[in-house]
Amino acid sequence: MSVWNYVVTAHKPTNVTHSCVGNFTAPQELNLIVAKCTRIEIHLLTPQGLQPMLDVPIYGRIATLELFRSHGEAQDFLFIATERYKFCVLQWDAETSELITRAMGDVSDRIGRPTDNGQIGIIDPDCRLIGLHLYDGLFKVIPFDNKGQLKEAFNIRLEELQVLDIKFLYGCSKPTIVVLYQDNKDARHVKTYEVALKDKDFVEGPWTQNNLDNGADLLIPVPPPLCGVLIIGEETIVYCSANAFKAIPIRPSITKAYGRVDADGSRYLLGDHAGLLHLLVITHEKEKVTGLKIELLGETSIASTISYLDNAVVYIGSSYGDSQLIKLNLQPDAKGSYVEVLERYVNLGPIVDFCIFDLERQGQGQVVTCSGAYKDGSLRIVRNGIGINEQASVELQGIKGMWSLRSSTDDPFDTFLVVSFISETRILAMNLEDELEETEIEGFCSQAQTLFCHDAIYNQLVQVTSSSVRLVSSTTREMRYEWNAPQGYSLNVATANATQVLLATGGGHLVYLEIGDGTLTEVKHAQLEYEISCLDINPIGDNPNYSQLAAVGMWTDISVRIFSLPDLNLITKENLGGEIIPRSVLLCAFEGISYLLCALGDGHLLNFLLNMSTGELTDRKKVSLGTQPITLRTFSSKNTTHVFAASDRPTVIYSSNKKLLYSNVNLKEVSHMCPFNSAAFPDSLAIAKEGELTIGTIDDIQKLHIRSIPLGEHARRICHQEQSRTFAICSLKNQSNAEESEMHFIRLLDDQTFDFISTYPLDTFEYGCSILSCSFSDDTNVYYCVGTAYVLPEENEPTKGRILVFIVEDGKLQLIVEKETKGAVYSLNAFNGKLLAAINQKIQLYKWMLRDDGTRELQSECGHHGHILALYVQTRGDFIVVGDLMKSFSLLIYKHEEGAIEERARDYNANWMSAVEILDDDIYLGAENNFNLFTVRKNSEGATDEERGRLEVVGEYHLGEFVNRFRHGSLVMRLPDSDVGQIPTVIFGTVNGVIGVIASLPHEQYVFLEKLQTNLRRVIKGVGGLNHEQWRSFNNEKKTVDAKNFLDGDLIESFLDLNRIRMDEISKAMSVSVEELCKRVEELTRLH
Amino acid sequence: MGSMFGDFPSFDPHNFSQLRPSDPSNPSKMTPATYRPTHNRTLPPPDQVITTEAKNILVRNICQRAEEKLRPKRAASENLIPEHGSKQLRASTSH
Repeated sequence: MSVWNYVVTAHKPTNVTHSCVGNFTAPQELNLIVAKCTRIEIHLLTPQGLQPMLDVPIYGRIATLELFRSHGEAQDFLFIATERYKFCVLQWDAETSELITRAMGDVSDRIGRPTDNGQIGIIDPDCRLIGLHLYDGLFKVIPFDNKGQLKEAFNIRLEELQVLDIKFLYGCSKPTIVVLYQDNKDARHVKTYEVALKDKDFVEGPWTQNNLDNGADLLIPVPPPLCGVLIIGEETIVYCSANAFKAIPIRPSITKAYGRVDADGSRYLLGDHAGLLHLLVITHEKEKVTGLKIELLGETSIASTISYLDNAVVYIGSSYGDSQLIKLNLQPDAKGSYVEVLERYVNLGPIVDFCIFDLERQGQGQVVTCSGAYKDGSLRIVRNGIGINEQASVELQGIKGMWSLRSSTDDPFDTFLVVSFISETRILAMNLEDELEETEIEGFCSQAQTLFCHDAIYNQLVQVTSSSVRLVSSTTREMRYEWNAPQGYSLNVATANATQVLLATGGGHLVYLEIGDGTLTEVKHAQLEYEISCLDINPIGDNPNYSQLAAVGMWTDISVRIFSLPDLNLITKENLGGEIIPRSVLLCAFEGISYLLCALGDGHLLNFLLNMSTGELTDRKKVSLGTQPITLRTFSSKNTTHVFAASDRPTVIYSSNKKLLYSNVNLKEVSHMCPFNSAAFPDSLAIAKEGELTIGTIDDIQKLHIRSIPLGEHARRICHQEQSRTFAICSLKNQSNAEESEMHFIRLLDDQTFDFISTYPLDTFEYGCSILSCSFSDDTNVYYCVGTAYVLPEENEPTKGRILVFIVEDGKLQLIVEKETKGAVYSLNAFNGKLLAAINQKIQLYKWMLRDDGTRELQSECGHHGHILALYVQTRGDFIVVGDLMKSFSLLIYKHEEGAIEERARDYNANWMSAVEILDDDIYLGAENNFNLFTVRKNSEGATDEERGRLEVVGEYHLGEFVNRFRHGSLVMRLPDSDVGQIPTVIFGTVNGVIGVIASLPHEQYVFLEKLQTNLRRVIKGVGGLNHEQWRSFNNEKKTVDAKNFLDGDLIESFLDLNRIRMDEISKAMSVSVEELCKRVEELTRLH
Repeated sequence: MGSMFGDFPSFDPHNFSQLRPSDPSNPSKMTPATYRPTHNRTLPPPDQVITTEAKNILVRNICQRAEEKLRPKRAASENLIPEHGSKQLRASTSH
């Protein structure tokens, strides 16, 4: 790989951190707004459910998300604050459907200690000010003036240093906050302060409450008429106001989220750490609080946010499992639950670990993630591209074309499958046993290659061969009419629909026929100047049986032309350029937009917007799909039309949000495809590939496919073993009732079914920390090695752990060797036929020894001290790269002769690492806990020892995501002869559920894309006025520096979303054609 | 208990009225379009680019206290305001 890296998101963040409900897009529209760390999603509440409106990338990690209603406004504004101390107020402009920035700013302070318990951002219910708690001991105020405009912010000193929560109280004549804090004796209290805006200071508030529940962590302000605040603890819930105090005990639980149900604040939904949903009711009489009641409603995903929507429907946003849309029923179900799950929204976060394996051994990686936490833990199998689920297949060599036909015009299903070969045509049909068997259509010519077939009106079938066009009854199967090619001419290319036939003969003759009841009428003939290479009359106009346009591809001048029908007048001629002839043309419509697709002989595809009334072709775009000629066909799946491009790189072309997308089909090479919707195999496709005819159904048309394997426990490490076709995971299960609160296991899973097939329970307090599948020198067996730690409550760092070596025998985990270690085994690597372990501060190498009695043991060979905690280790040859808890990278080398490990170089920066990977011999990639990526380079050519001993930082980038794992591999199938196939990639997984790709680019491409990125920054604006360059700048407590040697692929690929005017703008600035830009960017999208 | 669960708020009775529970194994696949603003109103009006006042809390406090000390004096002498104004004037003329 290289130092020039391109970072792109394959799977966007799905961890829901915040949500709120209000009238954002219109005064009458109710919206749910969801924050997924670096993105917000705007949804509309409709009778059909939640309708997603917009996915909005934010150039920051969202710390606060609040809707508020300014005085005199008919709809809400959205306040967003980011972790890097930026904020913005957004307004929806319904006229243009745009997000407008009303205000923005920087709320950072030069000095100040960032709060430990996260940032707090709150808005006064009477809209007098925005309050922010970002640094210990400071409360920042952004006042509103009486017109709702924001004024200069100021800080107020806050005496309480350990703040747990701050909220505004309702119904106060002066803005009043309530502060939940912990004192230096770890006791928790609440205190109220009035904010004196004029004096820029606090005034003691109306009440305080000391000595609360030790677990009190959350404040819920209660709106008028009751006012006051609810203090949610782990064992009690307290209602507090100036004149009332009520408390109830609760079953011990940690409340993670709440949602207000009623506008008057009398009922709240509380979600706890175990995913239990409670309803908390404030009982009151004459606006006086009389007590509290709490009722268990049921179980949901572990909630991070709860938003009551409408009509008893509630949104549960989750960081640990899938988010949900639930309904609160009035009556409990059989299990006593009032909760009914209506909808589920996939969340891969937190991805704690993942592995890549090639299930079908086709060169395409599938990612298996350890996702979710606690009871919502799961494995997710993530795969790029569209799969074909094979239903039946037969060996058939030399297929030249395929068409499906119905036995009558109004039959919903296809009966016949016409398969054409070089000198014959065979008909297959479903028999009574639902098997495909050969049959005959007597009226068809079976002794020749079929050029085209189609169903026609009046229960007829059309067959075109090189000598004639036959019209055959689909019921009697007998020929009704035959139109013969003129003497001396043979038909070369043909196309047809239910009422029309268009033919091309040698010499550039174009013949147009219309289909009648038992007749074919030659309506028009035209002589073109060159030979015709392809034709299409797919009806996409108002009449589904008749096309008013014909698309014609030409040899010699390499053009595509649009003719009108029936008069065959030339309307449009588009020169394609180059020397490659068009092999397949197709008129098609997606989401109400008409296109002309034109596939070339070298695997490129051109697409044009087609004006149906003028025949004009505009917005030409070119993509490279494969390297061989492409055949285009439409097919339907789930009532939507898509296009299948058969080639050496089969692709489905579809449209989403009015943009054409290209998704790989997970098949190696497809020569022909036709839809075959039979009664036995509904919605299927017939596919000709590599001497085989396959009938199969197609996956949902989308880019990434995610399968979920719920575990009910939290998987933390995963590893695949090819030889035993198994996965092994380290997992933990929370026991709610047992003495030990959690139990850790090593589990073995079948790699096809994902069933647990064997389990090895770890000791009490013993955690699984690392797992590896490897083999050793002088031993042909393949083992699973597991590193553990005894995590004792009284120890700061584990002082004891184990290395366990298992073999899979008869589907069982058999423990072969057990070796005690002096600390936690954070990492295990196969290294020169030995086992390399990272144990607390030390790197330790073990030899695999055969004892006299034939048993095996791990024998310590050598080690290397000098780390704070060696957490992440990668190796290459004799080199060892260590990612330290807080001392960034170090590079070690193993010296065979001396049997020693020595330090070669290190990065002297203080980075707290979260993942490392070796890109190539000299470049190492790291992720650290301030959400940055960086690369360092080994300096072997340094003049002095000092220089050689220093790893030079060569790349820096703010990813905005916490990376838990890097792995070499690819989500897409690698084609050795494609450009993209040459680009090496690393995949990463993050806490927010992001799966990303880091691709190392050739320098020329990097420079080109960097220029494109610079130009895109000028055209695509940051929402809320946030700046892209600042967002991607490397940032930690010590420094902020511009990103270097990393490009933001998400920004670059958004070029394809721009309208033509903006594309032209960029094309002009770059002096590169739009077509070339599209092609190069489109290629990059095929990396993920 | 009925009263506790009863009457969940309804803003628009049509919302969710046609929503049927989906197959739990089949998560929602609706993906919204990604927003890429190219307009100029992503930047707020110039007076709405907010910063924090540069004055340190301590300095602000001292200034405030100094002002407070001045205030009783003002109350004692009613013609302080014109005097104050003339002071400024003098200060400016002295340059």
